[in-house]
Amino acid sequence: MAHAGQLTAARTPRPALADPVTMVRIAIIVGVLAFWEVLSRSGWLYRDVVPSLVAISKAVGELLIDKDYYWNLGWTGFEVAVALGIGGVGGLLAGLILGSNKLLGKSFEPYLYYLGPTPKIIFFPVMIMWFGIGPGSKIALGTISCFFPIALSTAAGMRQIKPVLISVGRTYRANAWQMMTKIYIPAMRHPIINGIRLGLGVAIIGTLLAETKLSNKGIGFLIINAYSTFDMPRMYALLIVLFVLSIGVNALVGRFGGLDKIKRS
Amino acid sequence: MAAIVQSFDSKASATPSSSDAIMRVEDISMRFSTPDGVLTAVDDVSFAVRPGEFLSVIGPSGCGKSTLFNVIGGLLGGYEGRVSVAGETITGPHASIGMVFQEESTFPWRTVVDNVAFPLELSGMAKAQRVERARHFIKLVGLDGFENRYPSELSGGMRQRVSMARTLAFEPKILLMDEPFAALDEQTRLLLGDKVLQIQQQLKQTTLLITHNITEAVQLSDRILVMTYRPGKIKRIVDIDLPRPRTSDIVSSEAFGRYVAQIWSDLREEASRGMSDDEKTRQGGHPR
Ligand SMILES: Nc1ncnc2c1ncn2[C@@H]1O[C@H](COP(=O)(O)OP(=O)(O)OP(=O)(O)O)[C@@H](O)[C@H]1O
Ligand SMILES: [Mg+2]
Repeated sequence: MAHAGQLTAARTPRPALADPVTMVRIAIIVGVLAFWEVLSRSGWLYRDVVPSLVAISKAVGELLIDKDYYWNLGWTGFEVAVALGIGGVGGLLAGLILGSNKLLGKSFEPYLYYLGPTPKIIFFPVMIMWFGIGPGSKIALGTISCFFPIALSTAAGMRQIKPVLISVGRTYRANAWQMMTKIYIPAMRHPIINGIRLGLGVAIIGTLLAETKLSNKGIGFLIINAYSTFDMPRMYALLIVLFVLSIGVNALVGRFGGLDKIKRS
Repeated sequence: MAAIVQSFDSKASATPSSSDAIMRVEDISMRFSTPDGVLTAVDDVSFAVRPGEFLSVIGPSGCGKSTLFNVIGGLLGGYEGRVSVAGETITGPHASIGMVFQEESTFPWRTVVDNVAFPLELSGMAKAQRVERARHFIKLVGLDGFENRYPSELSGGMRQRVSMARTLAFEPKILLMDEPFAALDEQTRLLLGDKVLQIQQQLKQTTLLITHNITEAVQLSDRILVMTYRPGKIKRIVDIDLPRPRTSDIVSSEAFGRYVAQIWSDLREEASRGMSDDEKTRQGGHPR
């Protein structure tokens, strides 16, 4: 009898809070915060390097009502968006060409593979010379950052398309444009979306890194500014807000194009 | 019933004159160069297809059936000979020919209705109209109620029916199918055969079916073209004088059994030739 009771209990969905995984996750966050607070009050580290949670929360609050912050956030967002636009379209086109042309694919791919994982920040001095210290050089760095993962995953995706799907398009006499938009690109949706996701990540990194190096606007500029004026609470507040924003944007890209509705093959 | 048999017989006995045929396959040969030399996959195959006819091509595995299918469908170049539809030589995929492939070929990112509407979408038909047409063909293959499902939510047999509906929606003069049910179990295959018979009798659709399944071929066909094993030539053409309309029940009739036995004896020769061929190459290739 008790056994039967146990079975039914296991089947009814438990409230989310009682779920052991959720519990452990909450415990991790609480643990980290507690550790942080102990560290900040202990005086072990140099004064203010680890500000208290109270100070950081206050700084976050101040940040969120700061006009200056939104203006700079707008610039960074703009730079990332333009970089992703240019690098994304360029990467997609390059991937489509390299994936469909064996000769070009074989010739170019080694370069892409070796350049792909190279930190693009090494090109920053060149970008500064070409595009100045304004948003131009940040966009350029973001663009070359996201070009590679998108081009590589598009080219790889192109080669994984089932040949029979291409035959189907040919027998219905689809023209080149229809083949591209109705067969190739949808058939490659998973590698393309993955490429865009990776590309977005490195575009954000590239842009922010460039902003912290040499710039006059953007979130990276604010962070490095807070750092050099030793406004630690503000710096941490910026990092936290940035972190949350990146997670949000990434989640958004995951749903991009109704990804979770489109069934896998 | 007798009347049906008679009318069918009179139709079947008429031999196709050159003007009568909807499609002609003339002296088709296809060679592939392989590391072991030139391989003749299809050797000098000729036949004609009459309008409204159900013609099957049967032969042992590796005899060149899919090669022939791809040549007729205009997907493969570099062959000798000529394929013509209503007198017009084909040079690539032709608007009169619709193909159903052996492999699973539905688009996983489209729902059933969007899959079936695909050829209509390519031709620029308005959305409301093409959805209505697609629904008609979905109903024809017995998938009504599944319009908004994705292929991943369907069984293998249902997916093959989606592919078939999609090609029927293309409204080809000639339906070309390459072992569309090869991956399915025998019972499903027979029931789908019923569906194909129903559709064929309803649409009077000219159909060319490639298969290596004798039961399927006899169940469905007006004529069966038996191919030899490598090089793929035509060994025999068998007229199937079984009454129509047919259902899968016909497989238990005596006449059906005779046809199956006749074709099996033809095919057994070829199949065993194929097997001993394989053994020879294996022994030759790897001497002990
Ligand atoms: N592209 C190709 N290059 C070289 N050889 C090929 C090619 N396509 C087919 N062949 C060869 O041609 C022969 C016929 O192949 P095909 O696929 O037409 O056979 P099939 O009758 O359809 O067989 P199955 O019933 O197993 O599908 C085989 O020996 C195959 O190895
Ligand atoms: Mg085949």
